[in-house]
Amino acid sequence: MRHWWVWVWLCLGATLFPPVHAAGPSTDKVLNPGAELWNEVRGRQAAPATTQVQGRDSQVLVNEWGEHFRDYRRQRFVRYSGYLLAGVVSLLLLYHLLHGGLEVTESGRKVLRFELTERIVHWLLAGVFLLLTVTGVVLAFGRFVVLPWSGPEVFAVIASASKEGHNLFGPLFIVALLWFFVLFVGRNLPRLVDIYWLIRAGGMLGGGHPAAGFFNGGEKIWFWILTIGGLAVSTSGVVLDFPALVEGRNPLVLALVVHGIAAVVLIAASFGHMYLGTLGVKGSLEGMKSGLVDEAWAHAHHVLWYEELNRKAQAESSAREQGQ
Amino acid sequence: MARMKFYCDAERCIECNGCVTACKNENEVPWGVNRRRVVTIKDGERGERSLSVACMHCSDAPCAAVCPVDCFYTTKEGVVLHDKDICIGCGYCFYACPFGAPQFPEDGAFASRGKMDKCTFCAGGPEETGSADEFRKYGRNRLAEGKLPLCAEMCATKALLAGDANVIADIYRQRVVNRAASSLAHGVELQRQKFRATPERERTRTRGSEG
Repeated sequence: MRHWWVWVWLCLGATLFPPVHAAGPSTDKVLNPGAELWNEVRGRQAAPATTQVQGRDSQVLVNEWGEHFRDYRRQRFVRYSGYLLAGVVSLLLLYHLLHGGLEVTESGRKVLRFELTERIVHWLLAGVFLLLTVTGVVLAFGRFVVLPWSGPEVFAVIASASKEGHNLFGPLFIVALLWFFVLFVGRNLPRLVDIYWLIRAGGMLGGGHPAAGFFNGGEKIWFWILTIGGLAVSTSGVVLDFPALVEGRNPLVLALVVHGIAAVVLIAASFGHMYLGTLGVKGSLEGMKSGLVDEAWAHAHHVLWYEELNRKAQAESSAREQGQ
Repeated sequence: MARMKFYCDAERCIECNGCVTACKNENEVPWGVNRRRVVTIKDGERGERSLSVACMHCSDAPCAAVCPVDCFYTTKEGVVLHDKDICIGCGYCFYACPFGAPQFPEDGAFASRGKMDKCTFCAGGPEETGSADEFRKYGRNRLAEGKLPLCAEMCATKALLAGDANVIADIYRQRVVNRAASSLAHGVELQRQKFRATPERERTRTRGSEG
């Protein structure tokens, strides 16, 4: 430290002669005109811009949400929903390979589980759901999954048909969903027995099959996922289908984000439902096709409902005897 | 290789909308579609500025990133174009674009979107250069004719510049230097030429001293 005196002089100088801007006129009066102009361009000031051109958000110079939307779509939505869907499929596959589907020895006697109207509405909802899933997945992931295989010309046709089909059949989903809700909500209200069923994970942890009513806890959860998720995709879908309903572009971006997340949750849950309805629990699909299920199946999976059916049958037969 | 860019000089634009009209006429764009628009900030106040905006032909274009059908491409001149035969009119590019460039003709039922339309830097599209199909879908291909976009060529005050980015930048830099020099020559500090409107108290003080 031979030059320590330089530091002393520098420090002394700094105290005696402070920097010019600190001593000069107050800085808030001298604004950088470029920075202010830029703030106005970015829409950070309150004063709205104007334009002669009539159009959606035409008076907005810089769209503040643009980069967020790009980041959401490219870095988050496509990646994480891909993980979720692939994860659910792998889990189901693993479960099936390790555990296998549930099967009961048939008794040969059939009981009615679903009325004709209930079956029609179920398959209407399921059909529209599948159509919207396929077309929606093409729109969301097609660029990364289908396009490299098909080439742009073929994919243009598929994607265009998907978009038109998705927009056209979307409203039908709302009709089917509401109808389905009205038909099944009564049997899907939560009960105490469902909590017990869920704690036992439907018997998957061993210890036999826990008791369940007409619908078990898992089915009820799927029903409410479908209802709430369905409402989310429906409301956002109406906005996206009829863009004239909203002003500007931010409501549309918001609707698209809600639509995508809700749809991916629905699709992931529907994989579970489809597995359990077909391979997972044998005999279930028959109940939704013909409306009839085997008595043994009813006793094994929905014992409370089965007992109620028996009570009703006994009451009816005794009433008939009394009538005679 | 030239890299094409637009630049709008806010100090020169007088909001005449000549560029909007020139573009519509030259490219015969569909109803309800304006590939270019003039936006005015602080309209009627001190510090009013106007800017003419269209597609800015980004080097890393957000529209191309979010497109579900990957219909965008960048020409060797740096112009961002799209293929209307592939576009499905979903509107994602409009959500991602910082400048609101993508436009959609309402040609379906319930005002649904048609295929996207946007500024092509007067460079046509993927159809055969100079063909009738190219003109119908994308408008004039002036670059192929050795001309620049008509909006810039028509600009009366030369506020809107179009062309090779290096040339545009040089012209603008020259203007900035000249402006600074002229304001110094008139004895006015550059920073006093505030963009911001005069504060109320300052305005009343000036009026008082005059009266």
